Amino acid sequence: MDQETISQLKNIDWFDELSDDMLAGLAQKILKRTLKKDEVLFQKGDEGNSLFIINSGWVKVIARDTQGSDIVLNQVGAGEIIGEMALLDNEPRSAGVVALEKTEVLELKRVDFMEILKQQPDLALSVIRNFSSRMRYNTSYIEKITEMSKRVAKGDYSFIGETQASQKGIKQVSDQDKIGQLLAEFFAMVQGVKSREDDLKNQVEKLTLQIDESQLKEELDEITGTDFYVKLKDQAKKLREQRLDNK
Amino acid sequence: MGKIVSIHSFRGGTGKSNSTANLAAHVALAGKRVGVVDTDIQSPGIHVLFGLDESSMGKTLNDFLNGKCEIKDVAFNIGENVGSDEGRAQLAGKDIWLFPSSIRGSDISQILRKGYDVNLLNTGLQTLMKEFDLDYLFIDTHPGLNEETLLSIAISDVLIIILRPDNQDFQGTAVTVHIARSLDVPNLLLMVNKAVPGTDLDDLTKQIEAAFKTSPIGILPLNFELASNGSKDLFSLSNPEHDWSKGIRKIAEVILSIP
Repeated sequence: MDQETISQLKNIDWFDELSDDMLAGLAQKILKRTLKKDEVLFQKGDEGNSLFIINSGWVKVIARDTQGSDIVLNQVGAGEIIGEMALLDNEPRSAGVVALEKTEVLELKRVDFMEILKQQPDLALSVIRNFSSRMRYNTSYIEKITEMSKRVAKGDYSFIGETQASQKGIKQVSDQDKIGQLLAEFFAMVQGVKSREDDLKNQVEKLTLQIDESQLKEELDEITGTDFYVKLKDQAKKLREQRLDNK
Repeated sequence: MGKIVSIHSFRGGTGKSNSTANLAAHVALAGKRVGVVDTDIQSPGIHVLFGLDESSMGKTLNDFLNGKCEIKDVAFNIGENVGSDEGRAQLAGKDIWLFPSSIRGSDISQILRKGYDVNLLNTGLQTLMKEFDLDYLFIDTHPGLNEETLLSIAISDVLIIILRPDNQDFQGTAVTVHIARSLDVPNLLLMVNKAVPGTDLDDLTKQIEAAFKTSPIGILPLNFELASNGSKDLFSLSNPEHDWSKGIRKIAEVILSIP
């Protein structure tokens, strides 16, 4: 297996701490597959039994909406990984993947990966270490979101400015980084809430009420200048007094 | 001595009809003889709150203004026709009459086309005050300042101007306030309605005092439930604990306390 495949494997989060020897062992198990345009790599619900690395070309990740038409969740290109969790958990695929053009993928089957794990305990340790650091990373963001939720509840939005940069940073880590997506959504939500609140405040603040005196005079003149009004003003008091006398 | 209470707002959508109907209901519940006239001939609406629809409506103000009937024939006795709605049902046996405007399109377009004698309206109002021996006559006016509205302001003992807390209503209210003072209306009351949550009430009160030289008699909150209920019943009677209802009751007490 070529050096290129080894460096591809290195790009996978789980494998980035593996020694070159370990990676070479893994690389031997890698299968190369070429997909034609529109060829289905797997469908939602298929057994998830291997990981794929896109070597060249583009694929789309699709789901079906309630009306039965496809919606594209994501597009994935060269160097990116699909279905890494399948190596460990064997769950059915949560979405389908279809080639957008001629695409070359590298496949690592779960059975082969398990076989290597048995032969090389160091590799297993390395994967576990990687998992643990991911968990720490995720936990730190959960703590962060918890803290920010408390601040939002108190109406304190001051963190929006200071944290936007890291939000972008997270997005770059990986598209499959669900915790990063959660944080991004959380930010979008908080910004939405804040902007609605600001709008409302603005409306209330606009209540610096102003009366345009020249417009007022114009409108008054228009009404008080009519014959009807002149007569009415003349009679108004009399009309009220007459009625009071009646009762 | 009977009092004419006109309720006016510069623009539509201030909650004028709902406020008028609920205020009139509380005054009737206090044992007073109450009339409610819908002079919003162009866009009548208050009848709905008293359970009237096209089929149950008899003679209308339009018939009177066209010389087809006497003003007393227009009266709809609410106390004897309360229906089953929770709020309105409380008015059973009370002395409260509605004098509705026609909701038939042809009647409305006819009166808009031909016009009518504003003096006849005045005569009608004076007559019904006397014939029904009313303590209070509430007039639900058309927004803006047309002739019948000016007339109802001129003959009012109490004028309640309803405004929403925004700049457009402030400008229009300033015009009405000036007119009312120029016509020597004895009691001019400002009521703020539909204040959004978070409104600084003290600040708003100060601004109103500065702009109109009078304090608001109440700042009532935007009533989301009233808006979503489609306003078919008397809200302050069916939801007495709501802040809006409390505000209405307070204003009804102010009206009752005017000597």
